[in-house]
Amino acid sequence: MSFTPVGTEARPSRWRAGLGRITAGAALLTAVALLPWLSGNDPALTVLRARSADQDPAPEQLAAVREQLGLDKGPFVHLAHWLGGLPRGDAGTSWVSGEEVLPQVTGAFAVSFTLMLGALVVTIAVSALVSARTLYLGSRRRLHRGRGTIGVAVLAALPKFLLASLLATVCGVWLGWLPSSGWEGPASMVLPALALGVPSGAMIGGLLDQSLPAAFNEPWARTWHAYGFAPGRVARHALRRTLAGVLPQLLPTVVGLVGGAVAVEKIFNIPGLGRLALDSAIAQDLPPLQTTTLALILLGVVAGLLIQALRRALLGPALRDGALPALHAPALSRGRLTRWAAAACALALLTLVTAGLLRDPLHVDTAARLLPPSAVHPLGTDALGRDLLARLGHGALRTVGVALVVTAVCTLTGLMLGTAAQVGAGLTEVVSTMPAVLAGLLTSAVTGPSAWGAALAVCLVGWTPYAAQAAALLEQERASGHMLASVSFGAGPGYLLRYHLLPAVLPSVLRNALLRLPTTVLVLASLGFLGLGEQPPTAEWGRLLSENQPYVELAPWTVLGPACALVLLSVLALSGTGAVAARRPASALTSGGRGAYKEGRIRAGRTEAESVA
Amino acid sequence: MRTTSRALFSTLALTPLLAGCFVAGEQGSGSDAEGGSAGRLRVALAVPPVQALSPYSNDATVLSKLSVAEGLTALDKNGAAAPALAKSWTQTGPTTWTFELRKATFQDGTSVTAASVVNALDHADAAEPKPRVLSDVTLTAKVEDTDTVTISTKAADPVLPLRLASPALAILSGKAYGKDGTVSPVGTGTGPFEVTKLTGKSKAALDRYDGYWGGKAKASGIDVTWIADGTARANALRGGDVDIAEWIPTAQAKLLDDKTRHEVPSVRTDSLVLNTGSGLLTDPALRAAAREAVDGSALVDSVFGGYADPAQGLFGPAVPWAADKRVDVTGRAEAATTAQVKAGTKGKTLRLAAYTNRAELPETATVLQQQLEKAGFTVKQDVREYTQMEADLLAGKYDALVFSRVTLLDTGDAVAYLASDYTSNGVYNIAGLKDSKVDRAVKSAAEEADMTKRQQKTMAAEAEILRTDAVVPLVHEKVVQGIATDVEGVLLDPRERSLIDIDTHLK
Repeated sequence: MSFTPVGTEARPSRWRAGLGRITAGAALLTAVALLPWLSGNDPALTVLRARSADQDPAPEQLAAVREQLGLDKGPFVHLAHWLGGLPRGDAGTSWVSGEEVLPQVTGAFAVSFTLMLGALVVTIAVSALVSARTLYLGSRRRLHRGRGTIGVAVLAALPKFLLASLLATVCGVWLGWLPSSGWEGPASMVLPALALGVPSGAMIGGLLDQSLPAAFNEPWARTWHAYGFAPGRVARHALRRTLAGVLPQLLPTVVGLVGGAVAVEKIFNIPGLGRLALDSAIAQDLPPLQTTTLALILLGVVAGLLIQALRRALLGPALRDGALPALHAPALSRGRLTRWAAAACALALLTLVTAGLLRDPLHVDTAARLLPPSAVHPLGTDALGRDLLARLGHGALRTVGVALVVTAVCTLTGLMLGTAAQVGAGLTEVVSTMPAVLAGLLTSAVTGPSAWGAALAVCLVGWTPYAAQAAALLEQERASGHMLASVSFGAGPGYLLRYHLLPAVLPSVLRNALLRLPTTVLVLASLGFLGLGEQPPTAEWGRLLSENQPYVELAPWTVLGPACALVLLSVLALSGTGAVAARRPASALTSGGRGAYKEGRIRAGRTEAESVA
Repeated sequence: MRTTSRALFSTLALTPLLAGCFVAGEQGSGSDAEGGSAGRLRVALAVPPVQALSPYSNDATVLSKLSVAEGLTALDKNGAAAPALAKSWTQTGPTTWTFELRKATFQDGTSVTAASVVNALDHADAAEPKPRVLSDVTLTAKVEDTDTVTISTKAADPVLPLRLASPALAILSGKAYGKDGTVSPVGTGTGPFEVTKLTGKSKAALDRYDGYWGGKAKASGIDVTWIADGTARANALRGGDVDIAEWIPTAQAKLLDDKTRHEVPSVRTDSLVLNTGSGLLTDPALRAAAREAVDGSALVDSVFGGYADPAQGLFGPAVPWAADKRVDVTGRAEAATTAQVKAGTKGKTLRLAAYTNRAELPETATVLQQQLEKAGFTVKQDVREYTQMEADLLAGKYDALVFSRVTLLDTGDAVAYLASDYTSNGVYNIAGLKDSKVDRAVKSAAEEADMTKRQQKTMAAEAEILRTDAVVPLVHEKVVQGIATDVEGVLLDPRERSLIDIDTHLK
């Protein structure tokens, strides 16, 4: 009965998805084309600056640039001209250098894409390590206790630029194992790929690790085990089952690195696409910026389609036929360690904040520069002699508050767009490869420098992981038997949302959001140079990290404090919710968690689901 | 089985792709394998080329730093004009000069003639937009005979020989100038080193040019890598990837070995520019209070880590004649007391701008904020990327700006900076200064032809400008150059125009 409706629906929905992609891409390109005119920064001035930094901004010079570039013709003429050249393989010439844009962009794209592949390998390796224990024990039905999330939280909270600095210094300079910078062969790819891949791997692995127990809890796994199938085979199929929900995360987490790894590209002096995009955006050099944007849009769409195809291949006909059983998370007793870790982190953060709030975060004492931790300054001082403990304490509330609000908004947006699967898919693919700095530039062009600008900019692009995840999980949930049963029993959309869809996606999306909390803090701070966010000298964790980054080697404590605070926050968020989540099903339900709850409500759905499975 | 074949397929598909991506880089570095380690210098420069090394852009300094191209004149240690492609010159009238060329050849084999010089100067004059060095002068060059050129200017220009030393006026062979206005110095200069290959914005290879008129260079070639990030530059030197790394940031300088760390006083002065045209600080008493409150010497050992000198005036130790000719500042406004400042500002905040392009400036702003607040001001910072705020700066939207400025521009002449930044019709007048005494003092210095008198008048103009409190000099920056111990003969130039010449070599 489920064949016909799905079959007829597939074609228009594919059209709708395609239309969504084109609309989203076109909107983004138009926004970029309007950037100089929106921002109110005269492109003649920024181009002149990029060409010659000490040039006097004399009116006749600006007029010469304006005439040379034909700026008076307005944005749409330029956009049309650029689009017109594309079919001929002509992406225009750079406003700054006068050189052909296409070779520049393809060269940088190839570099960034290669780096991204390297990061992907590292990501896969790290996520395999992270989920190895669950996979091993689960496939042997020995998974009785949940895993502590501490390791994952720590790795996921590591700032990429800090990891990059550290690797460049330690492996590149001190040990001399690998080149500390440059792009001259596979050897120069190792360190940047590690810096990018380790946090991403922890993130993906963390998500995988969370959904694996549910797969092992399915009837088939029990049956296979009872029949004596090899654990490897059970593990492989469990992976196949769970990977389908996690794969879409690769798009914003790893593929997004092609355009979004500016900091790491700078540290390792890699001539990648992120730097090209940033430089041309700062100079308002439209042709390369537009071409880069187009390349990233196409990359996003292609990667999105590829991931979708992979998911289809993994789940196969079950997805199409609406024959997937729902994933039931088993009630695993979380390790006592997790609870202890949560308590310890909470205590440590509380102490940190309280102690910090009693001190003055703004007092500059140039004589007390870069002092190591001591009784007077428990966490040491920064380059201006300011007390780091005070700055951490005073920055805590603002940092965590803004990051939580942004994460909440992003999660909600992601959930909404994820629900509108067909329209949302295109938008998600297009936006997920966009660097946050582009969103920042567009935001600052519209709002000007503002305290909330950074939050707004991150909200514009930060929802993609949640949308991708929600869409994937919802597709599986919609394809499950009990949904069909609910619908045939006359359940309305509200009921479905409340009792089926939301419970199916919320726990995973929430965990994803918490894993990304530290990244959000850093991205928020990374937009400071556009005048977005709180202005200095206000203390804020992300800024503490970025302003002290040059001193990593000279005075490691200046970044150690803020980095540890971020790790504490991450561990607290993950293990705290883990502990709560573990306690709830154990007390509310006897077994099977959410699944049993649902089955209790709709008995017919259960029988239907089992008969299909 | 299926997964294996899929993995195999993807590996096969990726291999050529991966290999392809690195080729460009390997070719770039391949040349130093060919040249062998026989004396090729490896240099890390800070500012990547923006216009494929065109002399009419930022890239001009690269040509002079690496001795690729030369002008008719050069600057000597004291900032006076010295012979280069012109072996001598005389002023034949108030607006005309005659230059005698020396026997030299371009790197493409053609010889340097009066016609090629005129061609090069004409192209510079016709460039759109005009190079900075020609923005306030119109010059016409004429062929006198094969090795004599006459240059005339519309108005009298006492600093013409200095002007001609600018890297933007480098003489390149006719082949260099494209029809579409592009200029390529690849193989068209006259210097001891010849650019043979430019790989995008990341690498360049230079070979020794054996036909150089001044003799053969000691190094057989130069491999240039552009590394924009200061920490990465320092790392490249420390890791032994390069022999010379320019502009080591102050935060990294301490990590370098003593023997590789070389500091040079720079012509860059960091100052606090106060907005006299609009806003809070139009009141001279408040500006005086700000000047009194600000103490640049506190920055030297903190923000600049010792790599700076406390400010003496607008011109620092890198301008050798400045100290002897300095004029005492008189007639300044009386500084308002803290109470007066609090009353005078009427609760308004002082908008203090700084830009992120130079790491020291935001830190400086934070130190200054505390100093100003002690004097009774309420300060709010605005820190952004320079291009994001330049329009606002020129429109006078800030009360104060932490500004890092090169005081000897490419004319090598100090008056040009004073004229563009502090006169009523100056195009870079962020202070919004309109003061007839300053205008007069700068004008009289600009018209002075005698060098010593010109310098004296420049210093008198400096005193006039400081009197208005439109600018409070903070520190004179020092540049830290990282030079490996086995390199000899690197030029430490305060003007940052030269770095490697024919005597630079590996031991």
